[in-house]
Amino acid sequence: MSEAKLFLDFKGLLCPMPVVKLAQAIKQIQIGEMLEAVATDPGVMADIPAWTRTTGNELVTLEKREDKTIRFVVKRAK
Amino acid sequence: MTETIQLALKTLEAQLNQPLETALEACARCGLCAEACHYYRAEPKVEHIPAFRAEQLRSVYRYEHDFLSRLFPVWTGAKKLDEPMLANLTEIAFSQCTLCRRCTVNCPLGVDTPLMMRAIRAMATASGTAPEILVMLADAAIEKGKDPSFYKEMFLEQIKEMEEQLRDVTGDENATIPVEKQGAKILYVPLAGAHTILPPAVVFNAAKEDWTLSIFEASNYGVFLADVNRAKQVAKRIVDEANRLGVKEIVIAECGHAYASYRWDVPNWFAGQFDFKVRSLIEVLGDYIREGKIKVDPTAIPEGVTYHDSCNLARNGGLIEEPRYVLKNVAQDFREMTPNKDEAICCGGGGGLVALAEYAERRIAAGKPKADQIKQTGAKVVVAACENCRLQIGDINEHYNLNVKTTAITDLVVRAMRLPKPLPGHEAEYLFEGEGAAIARE
Ligand code: SF4
Ligand code: SF4
Repeated sequence: MSEAKLFLDFKGLLCPMPVVKLAQAIKQIQIGEMLEAVATDPGVMADIPAWTRTTGNELVTLEKREDKTIRFVVKRAK
Repeated sequence: MTETIQLALKTLEAQLNQPLETALEACARCGLCAEACHYYRAEPKVEHIPAFRAEQLRSVYRYEHDFLSRLFPVWTGAKKLDEPMLANLTEIAFSQCTLCRRCTVNCPLGVDTPLMMRAIRAMATASGTAPEILVMLADAAIEKGKDPSFYKEMFLEQIKEMEEQLRDVTGDENATIPVEKQGAKILYVPLAGAHTILPPAVVFNAAKEDWTLSIFEASNYGVFLADVNRAKQVAKRIVDEANRLGVKEIVIAECGHAYASYRWDVPNWFAGQFDFKVRSLIEVLGDYIREGKIKVDPTAIPEGVTYHDSCNLARNGGLIEEPRYVLKNVAQDFREMTPNKDEAICCGGGGGLVALAEYAERRIAAGKPKADQIKQTGAKVVVAACENCRLQIGDINEHYNLNVKTTAITDLVVRAMRLPKPLPGHEAEYLFEGEGAAIARE
């Protein structure tokens, strides 16, 4: 069970749009809260960790699932 | 004067060189640039005239540089920069100008309005007022260059999967996607995502090219911020990779600003470390077709196809005939937009605007002239060799009910190569049964 406050569907979005949408969405949750997203563009496997590293937010999970979608959970730290 | 304003003015001063000073001083106020700008065409109002935009920066420049203007600012329309003015300038430069240069080529004096808009973008970036997302995207790219290890393993896994897909669609058990191949002739730099890796991989394998895939992406958000420091750090990743691998040539994915920057700016930024030929993937496709290295079926795509000239490729990059050569070899019914080539109307998605969600409404409104052009061709497929253009055309397609399909040149070439199986995600568009080949989603 995820404790995420917000669930986002980035399926079909090509990079950099998942990062653009994530940067907008993170403002909707409080510091310490998490959001969960599902994407299909493999570019997110590099772009999401790069974004969390530079913005200081925490990447809790990043995984490729059986159905080839990529699920990630980010905790707002700033 | 606040620190923000000091930084902004310092950045303006630091940028002053002959081209910028000429642009700031020369304008006959003839208004001929108005019709050149897609914002004005979409909504003819004074704020949408390029010269009006430029005047906002000129008024600041006059105040700083003209003695009379400082004494009697009302006479000359000079203005002392303050925070609301900087915010206004920033908004103009990031939301009302795609840096397409159509005004410049249509100005009798050749006034470089986009150069002034870039100067404002640089002022905003240096003073911390530029759109946050562009800064984030540039910084994330720089981060990848500092330490690729945090994503490299995942990246290589993805490439392995793509390689399997490549073998499956081509039926070629030996097809590969080489990464970090020492001494390869070509370093191909994709965009993030499989859609700019798999189709070119099909082509490179068919042409038996000696190539290797970059672990970085070609796009450079430092360029959109007009932040040379960030732009150089983003580009350095690829320059270093090319030097490390000892390649002869860098081939850039279908991307307007990346091609223009690697073709014109990067060799200057890295003079002495940049001994590479730079080509766009479109040029490579053209050469393969010309030399018979790949076989394409000229009857494969019967539906009407039109081509949108990305400003960075055509007007700023000189890539005008090459995409047409490729398209005419794969599409039976190729239709031109009017005007086109170096006079093409911007789609409205350039200058990094597609990443700026806060200005989406404005961007889509400014895409109306392009939507009208597309409609007039009656084409069912709109080809654009730039990711930003494709995203924008996708949005205007929906908004203005154009009922078209947007695609890259490479995707059409691969379709015309008649592979045994369609690329993943393209199944609906390919019937692969000769006569019947048509877009199923009509
Ligand atoms: S066309 Fe050139 S000279 Fe005329 S108003 Fe526009 S920028 Fe000024
Ligand atoms: S560069 Fe393009 S968008 Fe910017 S003012 Fe000129 S015509 Fe308009």
